[in-house]
Amino acid sequence: MDLASILLGGLASGMVLFIVSVGLSVTMGLMGFVNLAHGGFAMLGGYVIVVGMGELGMPFGAALLAGFVLVAALAAVLERLFYARLYAASELDQVLFTIGLVFVMIALITLGIGPETQTLTLPAWLRGQTDLGFMQYRTYSLVIIVFGTALMLALWLGFERTRFGAMIRAAVDNRRMTQSLGIDVGRLFTITFAFGCGLAAIGGGLGAEILGLDPQYPLRYLAYFLIVVAVGGLGRVTGVFFAALLIGLLDFVLKIHFPKGGTMFIYALTLILLLWRPQGIFGRRA
Amino acid sequence: MSAPLLETRGLARNFGALVVARDIDFRLEPGARHALIGPNGAGKTTFVNLLTGALAPSAGSVLLEGTDVTRLPQAARVKRGIARTFQINQLFRGLPVLQNVAIAVAERRGVGGRMFRPAGLRRDVIDEAMGLLERMKLADEAGRTISELPYGRQRLVELAIALGLGPRVLLLDEPAAGVPSAETHVILDAIDALSPEIGVLIIEHDMDLVFRFAKKITVLVQGAILAEGPPEEIAAHPEVRAVYLGTEAAHG
Amino acid sequence: MSAVPGAAGAAAVAAIRARHRLRWWEPLPWLAAIAVFFTFPNHLAFGTQLLVMVLFALSLDLVLGYAGIVTLGHAAFFGAGAYTVGMLAAHAGWNEPLSGLVAAAVVAGLIGLVSGLVLLRTHGLTLLMLTLCTMALIEEGANMGSAWTGGFDGMPGLSFKAVFGVFAFDPLYFRVQYLYTLAVLLGVFVFVRMLVYSSFGRSLTGIRENLLRMHAVGAPVRRRQVVAYAISAALAGIAGGLFTQTNAYVNLSTLGLDRAAGVLIILILGGYGRLYGAIVGAVVYLMLEHTLARAYPTAWQLGLGITLMAVALFARNGLIGLGDKFARWLARRRA
Repeated sequence: MDLASILLGGLASGMVLFIVSVGLSVTMGLMGFVNLAHGGFAMLGGYVIVVGMGELGMPFGAALLAGFVLVAALAAVLERLFYARLYAASELDQVLFTIGLVFVMIALITLGIGPETQTLTLPAWLRGQTDLGFMQYRTYSLVIIVFGTALMLALWLGFERTRFGAMIRAAVDNRRMTQSLGIDVGRLFTITFAFGCGLAAIGGGLGAEILGLDPQYPLRYLAYFLIVVAVGGLGRVTGVFFAALLIGLLDFVLKIHFPKGGTMFIYALTLILLLWRPQGIFGRRA
Repeated sequence: MSAPLLETRGLARNFGALVVARDIDFRLEPGARHALIGPNGAGKTTFVNLLTGALAPSAGSVLLEGTDVTRLPQAARVKRGIARTFQINQLFRGLPVLQNVAIAVAERRGVGGRMFRPAGLRRDVIDEAMGLLERMKLADEAGRTISELPYGRQRLVELAIALGLGPRVLLLDEPAAGVPSAETHVILDAIDALSPEIGVLIIEHDMDLVFRFAKKITVLVQGAILAEGPPEEIAAHPEVRAVYLGTEAAHG
Repeated sequence: MSAVPGAAGAAAVAAIRARHRLRWWEPLPWLAAIAVFFTFPNHLAFGTQLLVMVLFALSLDLVLGYAGIVTLGHAAFFGAGAYTVGMLAAHAGWNEPLSGLVAAAVVAGLIGLVSGLVLLRTHGLTLLMLTLCTMALIEEGANMGSAWTGGFDGMPGLSFKAVFGVFAFDPLYFRVQYLYTLAVLLGVFVFVRMLVYSSFGRSLTGIRENLLRMHAVGAPVRRRQVVAYAISAALAGIAGGLFTQTNAYVNLSTLGLDRAAGVLIILILGGYGRLYGAIVGAVVYLMLEHTLARAYPTAWQLGLGITLMAVALFARNGLIGLGDKFARWLARRRA
């Protein structure tokens, strides 16, 4: 594979990782909650989108919207019912709860739909190749790259320029003080959590052709999502973006050139990075 | 003048643009009964954190009995004789009161890391811990878990732990806060019973306690020392009255 | 100083002085384990693996339940011990069981010491990630180094000498394996029990309960954590070594998230920080898994997931914690 194809393939992988993980980074930075079930929300969204487009024949945009809305709604309900009760709990309890939740999600999908890998039926305009001038490349991957970048810019603008974004940044930096300013931190958490899970849902659906989609998805990619978040720095959109691209590219390249044991390099790199900067590349030291 | 027990020279600390300690030159003499007062947010707890090593300074130095300890971490300074209580109780909430103090005593005696003998067989540690509880009138609650105690009684456990460390310098951050006024004398009695060479620095808002206890008062405002001197002088100091005691009258 | 304390005070002193004494029910699990040898002679293979997991969970309890270090990577040490025994037997002809276990403990303990020194400078999510990464690295290493480790397929068909030269492992009924594992487990349990009740163990509880306070009483916190971590790693390595010896094979299942999450679940279900939680959790979980998971794997996963969620919300201290609550409720009813 030539360099350009490798770059584009890796970027597409990284973008999917970003779209799924950005919600996790923000909610972990905001709520300080170790949510190992995040991949489960991505998986659920993926199934909604795939089933919507495949069996229900929905148009692409509608399916994405359905995935976002349904998963965000579920996330909001779960947050109010359960997550909110565990914010003050120990890290261990949070790990335990979210492992249990992801088991439930995996089991329900397996029972309801089945253990097979799902394929995404792409709409006509996403199939085939696009002519970039110097080469041809898969349209689907190019669209993901564009979408991911647009999303990062939109989120970044949202955080830096809107009042809501400012509230989130304030709460990430100092929750108690934000509360004493009269901001309803509970509602902030719910909305942010739901939004983050909704984004993950889109990532799960969009990325079905790149990361695959089957009931084991949440556990298979758990380490990658956590690595991207830890390396990027909690609550930092730009950090998650670059960390995701880095990991996505590395993983793509390693799969091609070192199919056996390439992941070792990623784990070793993460180890070194986190030891050198425990708060992540872009994170702020506590 | 004898060498001070604890001293800071040009001690300063900032968080970006926020300056919480400003060029502080401070001396705590042996046998001192010294109080640190100031309005909320003046940086009193920050100063104690700098003294104990919980916080590293941006500039300046901390000296314990003439030795520079600025680079030493918290635990090392404790071993050299600095003990503190926290403004908000920092106790082992799930453990019984006696165990709380016994852990501190065991560390002081250097047996905290011993792996082979059951802790229950160390009678000296247990007896000493019990003795401290008796002094703080906590003997009857020795077996109860911290979380079962009222806040005021927990505060006394906090002091018992600090005393169990056998300190040469005792830094007490609002020791009476939350303690019912009928029991604050326990704190004063415990300090009175201390060996005369021990230097004690108290942060307090309770002016009664301050004027009963202190032989010297330092007033801290916005991270810098505003005034320092014996109680009568401070009480009459015009700037102090304006900044602090004036507003204190409103709280009563 | 020796004024006679009031009755409550004296009771507290007596309680703290008697904590380490053997309670009447403590020999019971061990007697039950011996009884199983006679009453269920056809299930000793399963029983042996159960005992191995008890030992593994016990090692995790030291670091999680007592020192309060949350790790998702403890299988790294289990696998390190397992592969040490396997590689020594397959490549160096060193298949004497007890010395093999010592080697496993040393290797796993050294890895624990080095990784503990490096990792325990961090905390929270970063520490969790680093424990995962360390385990993943070792897993990948075992996968790749197939000349040494047998790679993806592992090393089947290992053979070991008889214990003390007398008691040969019998692959049919697992009689010797069971008693051998039980004896090692008992020895390790006595050691851990001693550690837990020593001043060192008490200080670990302090570190778990309030880290800031431990610093403020002058305890060398990091040193204690690293020591606990290294000892725990060595014990996990012994469990892994036992796995290889009693199964006569070793493979990648000794490493990885499945094994690490499994032992964490076992310990939490039983009750962490309570010494016997490892036994209770392993017995309950593994027996349920043995019967249910094989028959209905997806339903098992669903039930397990719901149970974990419920435990995290309502029963943080596991079955032993529930037992405590029940005992207190009984005592109040009698009063």
